[in-house]
Amino acid sequence: MKLRYFAFFLILSAGFASCKKDDHGETTEMVKLHLHTMVGNQAANYTSTFSNNGRSFTLSNLRYYLSNFVLIQDDGTEVPIAGKVILASPDEHEWELGLVPSGHYSGIRFLVGLDSVTNHGDPTVYPSGHPLAPQTPSIHWSWNTGYIFMMVEGKVDTTLAANGSANANFFYHIGLDQMARSVSLSGADVHVEAGGENSFHLAFDLLKALQGVDMRTEIKTHSMDNMMLAEKIANNWPQSFTWE
Amino acid sequence: MNHLTGFRQIAATVIVSALFGCTWEETPIDPGQQVVMPDLPLGFPMPPIPADNELTPYRIELGRRLFHDPILSRDSTVACASCHHADKKMTDGLAKSIGIYGQTGIRNSISLLNAAYQPYLFWDGGVPTLELQVLAPIHDPREMDFDINLVVERLRRHPQYPALFRQAYDADPSPYTLTRAIACFERSLYSQTTRYDRYVYANDTSALTASEKRGMNLFFSERAECFHCHSGFLFTDFSFRNNGLYEKYADSGRARITLNPADVGKFKVPSLRNLAYTAPYMHDGSLATLQEVVEHYNSGGKNHPNKSVFVLKLNLTEQEKQDLINFLLSLSDP
Repeated sequence: MKLRYFAFFLILSAGFASCKKDDHGETTEMVKLHLHTMVGNQAANYTSTFSNNGRSFTLSNLRYYLSNFVLIQDDGTEVPIAGKVILASPDEHEWELGLVPSGHYSGIRFLVGLDSVTNHGDPTVYPSGHPLAPQTPSIHWSWNTGYIFMMVEGKVDTTLAANGSANANFFYHIGLDQMARSVSLSGADVHVEAGGENSFHLAFDLLKALQGVDMRTEIKTHSMDNMMLAEKIANNWPQSFTWE
Repeated sequence: MNHLTGFRQIAATVIVSALFGCTWEETPIDPGQQVVMPDLPLGFPMPPIPADNELTPYRIELGRRLFHDPILSRDSTVACASCHHADKKMTDGLAKSIGIYGQTGIRNSISLLNAAYQPYLFWDGGVPTLELQVLAPIHDPREMDFDINLVVERLRRHPQYPALFRQAYDADPSPYTLTRAIACFERSLYSQTTRYDRYVYANDTSALTASEKRGMNLFFSERAECFHCHSGFLFTDFSFRNNGLYEKYADSGRARITLNPADVGKFKVPSLRNLAYTAPYMHDGSLATLQEVVEHYNSGGKNHPNKSVFVLKLNLTEQEKQDLINFLLSLSDP
């Protein structure tokens, strides 16, 4: 008899605990990030041959970390989404970002890459399937403990006249704390409400990230061995994301 | 009866049934799961041990087995033990280690004895913990050329490992438990009490010879300057120093991590324990004997803008050089 009361009490208190999300009397909704990885106006993939200023290339690996999301309401109120990290790739285009108060949102800010604490943490503490857990193929430098923020690998035509075929390996591994870049987009009109779609629609364009990169000669960087090229690409990130 | 009394009764019931649970299902405590203290030589302080990876006999044994198992490498030919031999005090006797497919690595294998005290690992200090260190050789294309997730897949299919992991960590093989187990084994490895330790920590004045004592005085003098960097019970302050080995470094050392030109040619000051077993010396194994090492420091080394101020021409006599070498050898395990 007593135990039955006790069990009831337990259930009741569990119920109260789960209601605490609305502690300011606001309702919260799950918002999603919808992100397409593009090469110009084509969806990025690992089978097509793409063109960068007439120079053909293919992709075999394109992954990048986004983190430190902040959603910005119409009145300028910033709603940070703590701890959320996304490992974006052409294979995936929708992620749950987190619970935020209902309302009208006009902007989003996030980091391409990771903050320095997360970057130098221990990947093995994350459960399998977590974006920060060890990935296969790896997207982490194990000898200096840091993640690769953006990994672009494939083959490119390196003939002078750009009239050959894409058969030379290229790779851009952009990492190190100083390569993280903040991206800020405003002017959207996203209504976060019960039953709504509650999605922020973005696109990342690899061609914009490679603006100014001569893919005939600038074909490799591990960041630390070619900082100029790594910085050139990282500096393009803020302009490579647009509303979709 | 009020609610409080009711609650007390329930609490009592819970406690009583918990007690009965113990009496009914009591199993003898498994000594393999008991936390053990490392077996330290005379004078050594307790090393820092992470709360999530305390030493237990099961964990140490699992780590020891993994350490010796080439299952960690892509073609199952290279184990951690391939470059860290117990009979060479966990080094390999080579200038530079040989990894998978017969490839020569870039640096000299460092002893793992006393690794528990290291504030960061590798000659360039790029990795902060023994647990994280495990990832590097597995992924290095010159060492094991593999992938930790694929190692874990192999371990999960193995006829014995899953049970050993559950015994040690109450969990399946995973990147987390794999790195913990190997680090736990490494944290159980220490040097032994040397004649120098008996002299210093047990006041055994006869433990060192006259030549060794002269060498010791030289070592700790402003004349030879050794002790500035080789300080403390491990004879290292863990700083990064350029010791004037080259005018131009093929391996940028600490600068590989910091990208700072002022760190080019700087490497972590190594411990001087067990030099008798760990030749050749320096980050690239370029000095074959202690005679060569002492001659290098006596000469003041090559010119380099980052060279430590303590590396300068010493003008030691032949007797002083021999005394210094004799002292250095007294820091080796018996």
